[in-house]
Amino acid sequence: MGANLFTNYGEAVAMILFGIGFGNLLLQSNLIKKIIGLNIMDTAIYLFLAEKGYIAGRVAPIVADGVTSVEAYINPVPSGLVLTGIVVSVSVSALMLALTIRLYRRYHTLDLDEISTLLKKGGL
Amino acid sequence: MYSILLSIFFPVLAGVYLLIRKEMADRRNLLITTGICFVITGILVVATLLTAHGTDFTLFYLTQSLPIYFSVDAVSVIFSAMTMIIFVCAGFFSFEYMKHETKEKRYYGYYLIVFGVLNALCFAGNLITFYLFFEMLTLSSMPLVLHNGSREAIMAGLKYLFYSLCGAYAALFGIYFVCKYSDSLTFTAGGVLTSSAATEHTGLLLIVAFVMILGFSVKAGMFPMHAWLPTAHPVAPAPASAVLSAVIVKAGVLGIVRLVYYIFGASFLRGTWVQTVWLILTLITVFMGSMLAYREKVLKKRLAYSTVSQLSYILFGLAVMDAGSVTGGFLHVLAHGFIKSTLFLCAGAIIYTTGKTKVDELRGIGKEMPLTMWCYTIVSLGLIGIPPTGGFVSKWYLAIGSLGSAIPVFSWLGPVILLVSALLTAGYLLPLTIQGFFPGADYDYEHFKKREPSGWMTIPLLILTVLSVLIGLLPTPLVDYLTQIVSTIL
Amino acid sequence: MDFIQNFPCISIMLCLFAGIISSGLRGKTARWLNTILLIIVTILSACTLLYTISTGESFVYVMGKFPAPWGNEIRAGVLEAGMALFFCIIMLLSLLGGQHKLMKEVEENKVFLYYVLTNLLLSSLLALVYTNDMFTAYVFVEINTISACGLIMIRQVGRTIEAAVRYMIMSLLGSGLLLLGLCMLYDLTGHLLMSNMKESVAAIVAQGEYNIPLIVAIALMTVGLCIKSALFPFHAWLPDAYGYSTVSSAAILSSLVSKGYIFLLIKIIYRVIGFDIFINTRIIDVLFVFGLMGMIFGSLSAIRENDIRRMIAFSSVAQIGYIYMGFGMGTQYGIVASVFHILSHAATKSLLFIAAIGLTDVSGGSRKFIELTGSAYRNKWAGVTFTVGSLSMVGVPLFSGFISKLLFAQAAVQINGKMLPALIVLGISTILNAIYFMKTVIRIYTPVEETSYPSVTFKDMKLYAVVLVFFIILNIILGISSQPIVDMIEQGLAMFA
Repeated sequence: MGANLFTNYGEAVAMILFGIGFGNLLLQSNLIKKIIGLNIMDTAIYLFLAEKGYIAGRVAPIVADGVTSVEAYINPVPSGLVLTGIVVSVSVSALMLALTIRLYRRYHTLDLDEISTLLKKGGL
Repeated sequence: MYSILLSIFFPVLAGVYLLIRKEMADRRNLLITTGICFVITGILVVATLLTAHGTDFTLFYLTQSLPIYFSVDAVSVIFSAMTMIIFVCAGFFSFEYMKHETKEKRYYGYYLIVFGVLNALCFAGNLITFYLFFEMLTLSSMPLVLHNGSREAIMAGLKYLFYSLCGAYAALFGIYFVCKYSDSLTFTAGGVLTSSAATEHTGLLLIVAFVMILGFSVKAGMFPMHAWLPTAHPVAPAPASAVLSAVIVKAGVLGIVRLVYYIFGASFLRGTWVQTVWLILTLITVFMGSMLAYREKVLKKRLAYSTVSQLSYILFGLAVMDAGSVTGGFLHVLAHGFIKSTLFLCAGAIIYTTGKTKVDELRGIGKEMPLTMWCYTIVSLGLIGIPPTGGFVSKWYLAIGSLGSAIPVFSWLGPVILLVSALLTAGYLLPLTIQGFFPGADYDYEHFKKREPSGWMTIPLLILTVLSVLIGLLPTPLVDYLTQIVSTIL
Repeated sequence: MDFIQNFPCISIMLCLFAGIISSGLRGKTARWLNTILLIIVTILSACTLLYTISTGESFVYVMGKFPAPWGNEIRAGVLEAGMALFFCIIMLLSLLGGQHKLMKEVEENKVFLYYVLTNLLLSSLLALVYTNDMFTAYVFVEINTISACGLIMIRQVGRTIEAAVRYMIMSLLGSGLLLLGLCMLYDLTGHLLMSNMKESVAAIVAQGEYNIPLIVAIALMTVGLCIKSALFPFHAWLPDAYGYSTVSSAAILSSLVSKGYIFLLIKIIYRVIGFDIFINTRIIDVLFVFGLMGMIFGSLSAIRENDIRRMIAFSSVAQIGYIYMGFGMGTQYGIVASVFHILSHAATKSLLFIAAIGLTDVSGGSRKFIELTGSAYRNKWAGVTFTVGSLSMVGVPLFSGFISKLLFAQAAVQINGKMLPALIVLGISTILNAIYFMKTVIRIYTPVEETSYPSVTFKDMKLYAVVLVFFIILNIILGISSQPIVDMIEQGLAMFA
């Protein structure tokens, strides 16, 4: 078990990062910190994918020197997934930031709990 | 088969037709159409009972294993014949009575729909069909309760809705279990529980049976779920109160008959805690209903409390599960149906001509409306149980059955309470007769004017009164018929 | 290949393009485009449904020229096509029913954005329903989330923005978990296409290797989708989001968006993991317990609520609980009941939201019960419709809610261990439902002596009234002719395997 953890340290780090990001997104009450948490979480998943997709000593499957053996190349799909994921994550972060700006302009605070108490007092 | 379908759907469709057609706003058109519909439905029901006895068929499948299934057996005959007679009589009574109410179109529309739904309940051949129409009955009879649209009426209607729905859910909850532990949900004399389930899961099934009995008895106004009945029945127009109190509550009784004798089986419940608790509840209701009626001043409310009490006579008979008592219960279904509808119709006739609702205001009413008051007096005697009226025969069988059963304590406690309650019944019904016919020395005997209502009102009253007396005078064929039913289900 | 096999792909594309085109249109034109689009997609889905029923088997549509296991695929069977058809109908009715209110609550120059978002939402829902590729599913889950968030906050008040933020946070947590589970599963199987994944999973399980990672991956995906569909402990965002957004959004969110995720979960269960393998994990017991808790606590919160929209929203929590309880039973019957409940709840809940708005409109815009007193007399159509919805929710026969309760109960009695808790909670929750829905019906039908609010008649709201009638018809169809629909669901689930 321990040995497995050490050889797969990349994946282990990715998991720890995912936990940190997840916790931040869930527990922080400051919206900016939440968004940072979101990005950490997403990045952790990309790290995990990239780590899984890479095999030491092999290269991206671009046939340059005539080598067509499967043994020479890595699977390109995880990298593609990472790219797609980044696009999604960027758009989501942008949306969250836009929402944060709106809330800040209205209530002059970034604290979500504080906004909730304000809302409870003030109606709509 | 077609006669069953027609007797269910003809009145429902006719009711919908009345509700949606504009030209029915004209009173003459409305009454002619409604009258024809009553006659046709009556003929259809009679035709069904004569030709379709013993037939059954499946209408459609709700889900794969749950058909909407109808069959006509002896119990259906009893209940649907009573329903038909009372509905037609009260319907013709309404022709005069509804003159002083508004929105007659809506009234007759829903009246016919309820008629059809009740027929469906009588002909329902399995538990799920029964449940379906049980809910439909609540929904379609609610407009009758809240007919006059006053705040009081609407609140009463909603109270009625709420109690009935909760009761129906208790029943539905039980249906799930019955589905699991039985071969089918088709009503079969002696019960449908598989013998292995009945022995292995006795405790669970007893709880289920109890919950279902409570659920159905909400409709029959059993303590502690009786509170809706005295609120809902009096606010309806008098003919509607008559059918509510005389027929619609019997749907709850029919439900319990079907449940106890056709789903669980008497042998499964006899001697268990369910029977004991059920007996206690019915006896409490009998006594309490009479007490409350005795103290009530408004005539229609008094009659509603009386319904609470009298229905539990029937339930008591069913709960004892002895041949005599069950026969008595069935007889009381009929006797109470005819008597209570007459009483409410009399109350309606009095309100219609004098506008008075309280018992104390009605001094000398017997001089003014002798025919109505004679009907009232005769059926009152019946409800108290004085021979040779219908009530006497049914109570006789109830008491004999109870005394003959082997249940400790209740075998003698039951008849005692029935007797006390009969005295109370006399106490709350007869003052009106006494005041009505003997208003006392200070009454102005010279100047009262005869104001007997028209034939639309008096003829239905007479028919129902005669029927209630006939049950008492010539009970033998009826008792024979009932004994046959009872011997198959016990 | 028959031409009809193109229809799923065409309908997704149409929605996407309509979204793009709408962004350059004015509000009214965008609305027309959206309505026409919905009608077209409804027809296309109906054709697909009829086609799959007539051929009796599902078909796979290869996107581009890459064959499996590399390419991207769309797969349509009876269940997928039926779901798409149903989603379109509900969306059309919800949008038409809430149109009047939308025009009031959204700024004039932003109305077109609403239709851009709905078009995108529809495309993502269709893609979730039809796709055969897990990563495509993930991408469309995110598109779904973003457009749903837009639908919540298009009505610009503080509450909705806050609700949108809370919704986004919970959804992102959910999709993060989904993505992680997906990556792990990809790692284990080496495929992204559902059919190939399923073969590999079966092989892995047969060899007895990688048990723990497999369970972790399944658990992550399940929990992620549970969070997104607001299963009981994750429902904190829901009342505000459904309660304050414009009414079409509330109807669409409660009846379609959460159902899209649940449908994806069903696809994962059947098409990716395999039903038996999923059942053998302990996850279903967890789903069962949380489903039961949701049924009780959702109803309890709804009883305490003093605001009609929030009450309906809390009732959704309870209904989602029903669906997960069906999953938790771990039998085919349970899933069939759940799928039927998806349909019946979608039909009923959107009806309730749309009817509730008619009632609040004639009560000075207030949603407090005290103000709603007697509102059913001021807007008779909405009153009747709300009553029908309530009766369906509490399970009166002939309405859809009764059939789903019946199916759940029938499924429950098949399993010995879970029968008692399921039936007892079903009973309690029915009574609780009856309490708060009947309370509301009683309230709206309680007459008031004097009122300052005006009444509305059919002439003032023709479109709205027609929509209400269609909702009622839909509900009754589901309630009466349930057997063909249940058969269709069973056929569809059989095609999944």
